[in-house]
Amino acid sequence: MKKPIVEIKNLKKVIGDKTIIHGISMEVFPGEVFGFLGPNGAGKTTTIRMMVGLMGITEGQVLFNGFSIEKNFEKAISHVGGIIENPEMYKFLSGYDNLLQYARMVPVPVKKERINEIVKLVGLEKRIHEKVKGYSLGMRQRLGLAQALLHSPSLLILDEPTNGLDPAGIREIRTYIRKIAHEEGIAVFVSSHMLSEMQLMCDRIGIIQEGHLVSVESVGDFVGDKVNTVIEVEPIEKARAFVEKTLPELNPKINGNELLVSASREKVPALVKALAENEFNIYKISSGNKTLEEKFLEMTEGK
Amino acid sequence: MSHFFRLVHNENIKIYKRMGTWVMIGILILVVALVGIFTKFVLDPGSNADWKAQLSAENAQLTESLESAPMLEAQKRLLKERIALNEYRIEHDVEPIKRDSLWGYMVDATTFTGIAALFTIVIAAGMVASEFSWGTVKLLLIRPVSRTKILLAKYASTLLFALLMLLLLFSTSFLFGILFFGFGGAETPYLSYSNGRVIEQNMVTHIIELFGFRSIDLIMMVTLAFMISTVFRSSSLAIGISLFLMFTGPQLVQLLSQYDWAKYILFANTDLQQYTTGTPLVEGMTMTFSIVMLLIYFALFAFLSLYIFKKRDVAA
Repeated sequence: MKKPIVEIKNLKKVIGDKTIIHGISMEVFPGEVFGFLGPNGAGKTTTIRMMVGLMGITEGQVLFNGFSIEKNFEKAISHVGGIIENPEMYKFLSGYDNLLQYARMVPVPVKKERINEIVKLVGLEKRIHEKVKGYSLGMRQRLGLAQALLHSPSLLILDEPTNGLDPAGIREIRTYIRKIAHEEGIAVFVSSHMLSEMQLMCDRIGIIQEGHLVSVESVGDFVGDKVNTVIEVEPIEKARAFVEKTLPELNPKINGNELLVSASREKVPALVKALAENEFNIYKISSGNKTLEEKFLEMTEGK
Repeated sequence: MSHFFRLVHNENIKIYKRMGTWVMIGILILVVALVGIFTKFVLDPGSNADWKAQLSAENAQLTESLESAPMLEAQKRLLKERIALNEYRIEHDVEPIKRDSLWGYMVDATTFTGIAALFTIVIAAGMVASEFSWGTVKLLLIRPVSRTKILLAKYASTLLFALLMLLLLFSTSFLFGILFFGFGGAETPYLSYSNGRVIEQNMVTHIIELFGFRSIDLIMMVTLAFMISTVFRSSSLAIGISLFLMFTGPQLVQLLSQYDWAKYILFANTDLQQYTTGTPLVEGMTMTFSIVMLLIYFALFAFLSLYIFKKRDVAA
């Protein structure tokens, strides 16, 4: 087992008499993209702000490579690059001057070659010397990414990195993130409320709801191999009873004039054959992967 | 380059890459130039030919009021000094400084430290508050630099800006002074009174001294603006409160000067010249007392800024 880059232990935040985060614990390992998923207001941003030291920690610990963000801030944060919400830059400076600002703040200043390399990586070399005032949102996101990668961190923390981007921009960011994690072994901690997005980008996903970490699973486990099959069949009541009796593991349910079953792919033909042989009329049949979205709603609605 | 020096460099870039800063620098130079033009072409300097007669007339009047009118000990001392200085001038043939001379103009220009203070307050008020309003504070505070160092770098840059304004004021008033009034009377000394004797002093030293005295007020007000900017994250509030206090503070203390506790107000202590060439605002105040009060206020402002900046949760 690799050593985790991020260790979060029983993290809590209380503001006034309201508990916002109720003791979250999780770990992130090198080379993985960890998705931090939750509806708006669940406490994603608060958690991230505590992780990077923008907010005080009420209880618990955040460790980066073993250094506590509270007790050893400068050491701990030097392993981290981040974008917290929209990457706001100094608009009166050029993109390059903005990067220079951050390059100077590292104890050993970042070299010019490294800056140029990063600028190239995020594809801003043509306009890096223009003032940020004239940048599009996509360009600002890319500059934000450059800023986060500048000091070669071992962990990237991205808070809603695809917020406000068009589909092409989202895909671009996604590609970068996966590339950085899998090729350079950097851990990426990314938060979002966009479920479909997380499914494509992440290796593992943690779900947060109302300040509780509801579950942490790999994307594979999360989506699963179960297939949701919808069958329009008559008479429906009888069909349900029939399936319940013969194949109870399919867990049949009625939804309007359709029968819902959850079956693995190879079981579908047998089910159809059985229904047909027992004089049920089948009008339509369709199936698809259970999406993260369904799983997510299932999980959070139960609460 | 040391790490802290690089942080100050960063802050300086943020100050000088903005238009507003250069507009302020331009206005300062313009005001100095305009006053020079006004002094040279509009103001009537009056005849100074019989200055000796004028001074003896003034002395006669001063002596009379010294004998007849009841007054405080400090006021009496002040009048006596004035008489002694005038007598020295007549005796040693040292002409008083004229307004339309290089030194006279430069002494006048020292009052523009008020403008330097105003502009520095504007800069100080934006130092921390702007990072919040720009949203850049989130990226600034996730660097491997402690918040204390960041705040100190910001304060240092603010003081450097104040220093620049003062240097600019000094050098431009010197240059315009030569341009408008020439070097005439450059060897005239400044007369001061100390330990019962009149002493001749170099004029440049005197002007630098004046700048020094006026900078105390400047530094205190700038530090106050910096503190408000840090505590309330609002640059307009910081500018508003600081300027309001800078203009009304001295009047307020004047009004309250009959009460003994008025001496604990900041503005009763910012003018240290009250001990060298004036009368203390509240009887019994001393230079040492004022310096201690100033240090206490300064420590209070510094502590509040640092404490709140370090503790603050950065949200939104």
